[in-house]
Amino acid sequence: MPGLFGYIVWIVSCLLEAGVVVCAVKKKALRPYLFLNLYMAAELFASVSRYNILHQYGLSSLQYRYFYYYSDALLTIFLYLALTSLFSSVFSEMHAEKLVKFGAVFLLCATAAFSYAVVYQSQARLLTHFVNELSQNLYFVGLVLTYVLWAAVLKLRETRTRLIQLILSLGVYFSLFAASYALGNLYPSADSVLQFLPPLYGCFLPAAWAYAFWRIPEDARLAPSRLAVIR
Amino acid sequence: MSRKLTVILLAMMILVGAMSLKTAVTSHNDNGAVMMANGGAPVPPPLYRNGGAPVPPPLRNGGAPVPPPLR
Repeated sequence: MPGLFGYIVWIVSCLLEAGVVVCAVKKKALRPYLFLNLYMAAELFASVSRYNILHQYGLSSLQYRYFYYYSDALLTIFLYLALTSLFSSVFSEMHAEKLVKFGAVFLLCATAAFSYAVVYQSQARLLTHFVNELSQNLYFVGLVLTYVLWAAVLKLRETRTRLIQLILSLGVYFSLFAASYALGNLYPSADSVLQFLPPLYGCFLPAAWAYAFWRIPEDARLAPSRLAVIR
Repeated sequence: MSRKLTVILLAMMILVGAMSLKTAVTSHNDNGAVMMANGGAPVPPPLYRNGGAPVPPPLRNGGAPVPPPLR
């Protein structure tokens, strides 16, 4: 079972997730950023359900493990959809929303097909292997997509401050996980320290998004000179 | 049509890039750890690690030292 630190971080992350949706509703940003808010609401729902299952069956129980990893895969798909909605926002002025949607669906299907090709030889627990593989692959796809999106923001000289804040916080979030995972593989002895970090990262994204919705008005603009320009 | 083909090409390039990155990051992963965590819930042990026994070294036929690769 998690200790006091784990519970505090978990409660804080739940409060922040709820805070994102509340801030978005208060600032009338629910519809323009619908998928981001859906992701946060799904995270909150998953956290409450995980808490119930954890207390009923325990951390190492099969019930909690299955629920945790299956819900994590679903949440990763929600996060992917949120990311593609940010793509749509950035490319909205080019009227390329249909192309973005087509590309997002194609990439999701291609990632699912690739994941299935990797695990299809697993006779036992094929679905579990597939869910695990798809979740991790989508995670790395999201990481690369975020950097592509940031490059597009620089190239198109996007100036909407709230949108830039949302994208940058997503980039930091993905990068923190990847860096932490790479460090864990390089230094397995530091695993006991690094295992405390992912729940902390889980607090970062809702905190940054809540800040973006609460403090940055929709019509706020950054001066283009403050963004690095790719020529 | 060419715009759709361009989108497909870009999507494939992103997929290849993401899988290359995953291979680079996880190439030394022998502890069965998985990277995924949405939210602040405590991460349970991986689903499909059968038992907690140490992982044996890779199979080799005989104990002779391994020569350098053939050129």
